[in-house]
Amino acid sequence: MSETLMEVKHLKKYFDTPKGMLHAVDDVTFSIGKGKTMGVVGESGCGKSTLGRTLIHLYESTDGQIIFKGEDITHVGKHKMHKLREQMQIIFQDPFASLNPRMTVEETIREPLELTGKFKKGELQDETDRIMEMVGMDERLRYAYPHELDGGRRQRVGIGRALALNPAFVVCDEPVSALDVSIQAQVLNLLQDLQEKSGVTYMFVTHDLSVVKHISDNICVMYLGQLVETTTSKELFENPRHPYTKALLSAIPSVDIHNKKERIILQGEIVSPIEPKPGCRFAARCPYAAEKCREPQKLQEISRDHFVSCCRLGEIN
Amino acid sequence: MNANKKGTPFIEVKNLTVHYTSEGKVIHAVNNVSFSLEKGETLGLVGETGAGKTTIAKSILRILPEPPAQVDGGEILLEGKNILALSNDDMRKIRGRKISMIFQDPMTALNPVMRIGNQIAEGIALHEKVSGKAAEEKAKKMLEMVGIPGSRYRDYPHQFSGGMKQRVVIAMALACSPDLLLADEPTTALDVTIQAQVLDIIKNLQQELNTAMIMITHDLGIVAEVCDNVAVVYAGEVVEYGSREEIFDHPWHPYTVGLFGSLPDINSDVERLSPIAGMPPDPSNLPEGCAFAPRCPYAAAECRKAAVELKSLGGTHICRCIRQMEAVQAPGAGHN
Repeated sequence: MSETLMEVKHLKKYFDTPKGMLHAVDDVTFSIGKGKTMGVVGESGCGKSTLGRTLIHLYESTDGQIIFKGEDITHVGKHKMHKLREQMQIIFQDPFASLNPRMTVEETIREPLELTGKFKKGELQDETDRIMEMVGMDERLRYAYPHELDGGRRQRVGIGRALALNPAFVVCDEPVSALDVSIQAQVLNLLQDLQEKSGVTYMFVTHDLSVVKHISDNICVMYLGQLVETTTSKELFENPRHPYTKALLSAIPSVDIHNKKERIILQGEIVSPIEPKPGCRFAARCPYAAEKCREPQKLQEISRDHFVSCCRLGEIN
Repeated sequence: MNANKKGTPFIEVKNLTVHYTSEGKVIHAVNNVSFSLEKGETLGLVGETGAGKTTIAKSILRILPEPPAQVDGGEILLEGKNILALSNDDMRKIRGRKISMIFQDPMTALNPVMRIGNQIAEGIALHEKVSGKAAEEKAKKMLEMVGIPGSRYRDYPHQFSGGMKQRVVIAMALACSPDLLLADEPTTALDVTIQAQVLDIIKNLQQELNTAMIMITHDLGIVAEVCDNVAVVYAGEVVEYGSREEIFDHPWHPYTVGLFGSLPDINSDVERLSPIAGMPPDPSNLPEGCAFAPRCPYAAAECRKAAVELKSLGGTHICRCIRQMEAVQAPGAGHN
């Protein structure tokens, strides 16, 4: 086991909506090793993006604890947060919406360097050039504006900006979902190369299971705000235990045309995360749901590093 | 319906060429595309954003915005009859009845101020010339077929989730039992468990009604699941065509091979993906010769000289590449 960089204990994030409290992240506990990639998967509305944003204080958590480099950062002041920002960054899904349309590639990448005040004038330009080269931006695009770039290059700028200050932890929020497969592969390789070089830790949020398997060391599976299963990437795909994980994995269309796998087609609709009833939220669609699923579920360690939140495990596997 | 004489495919697209004019530039969206399809079969059109997949589908349904689009040539033969030559009135009778389309984004494909039941019944009343009552009955039946209770007939689109809206769109497209269904990325906006549900529904209905289907997608996994034949489209051209087995077991064109290499595969462990270098070409400024040559690891001088013809590889497998022998023998190419 490597050293732990980020630890989350019973984290909750609720949003107050006109219809009641929306439980976006509900009692989530896990930790991420230094230099590793934690994948977070789940379907839209499961709270995976909210989780990422809460970790780096883009949202204030409702309850629970966030421990970063051994220090409790659940509640920190503005000044301290400003310092922490250098170490915690985010790459957004839609690089068009997240880049300032009035700033050139160079300005966008240089801005975080200027803000830290760590660089002298001459160094600033060298550092900007270094980052542009690092993310594979052509010299000729130095003065280009976001609207002149295609999705893949825009995302490279987003990555450059996020990694400019050599952060320890980066949340990648669906960074390749908006890209075509051939460009997606280029960006995934870039992220992996950068991790090898700098030892940065990623939390990789995505709905794409083949991408998450490819890039992650460990994976958290979420369903409507709850963490249903977490383990290593290998173990999750070889030995999924939670009924939702099983259905999710079986639903991935596979390019292997000769070995058709058994599909689990789920019935029923996703329940609302607003003022949810206690108990397992997947129960409404779960083929194995029973009376005791309506009681609050506990995350249990079923083997080393493999945690599942399901009370019917013993009976269904 | 069974008028298919031997030798006349159910639908045949011949040398279809379409361009758009935008800000004085000519964008060559579809270049000389040909394929054919029988009833009950599914053809997958695979390619990246801007490859011209949706333009091909819209040409078949004749719903291209003209201008800026213009069909420059080619024929689309439905049971031997060129529908590009039909009058607008005659075409209207075909749309929804013989050919219908499932659009990519269910949020924009539905009228937000019309009850979903009425949106389905509208097409039925128009094509089947039945009373409003009978159309409503049938629309309810269609809703139930896609797993939505008939009691939700009077609901509006905003009262449904994304997956349910897409099922409404599917019900609408299939309401008049079309002979040809154009499915344009029907599950791209959906979550994977819902995608599995929706693909299941489409496949079952297609088998029940013996519909021919053109499935437009960028997802090779979906192609593997539902398609009989595959056409790989790059820069408005079919670069490779064949049965599912031919394409998945023996991909020939370097672009097809590149697509497979770019894909993180759930069944294997690779450290790094092998992406295709570079970007798709600007369709207003296509390179001379093979459009893929600038990105192709096997490109030679001859590739850049003249347009490349489709060549047969045996069976139904055809490919637009003059260097394919070298390409396939290169390490890392192919699947075995």
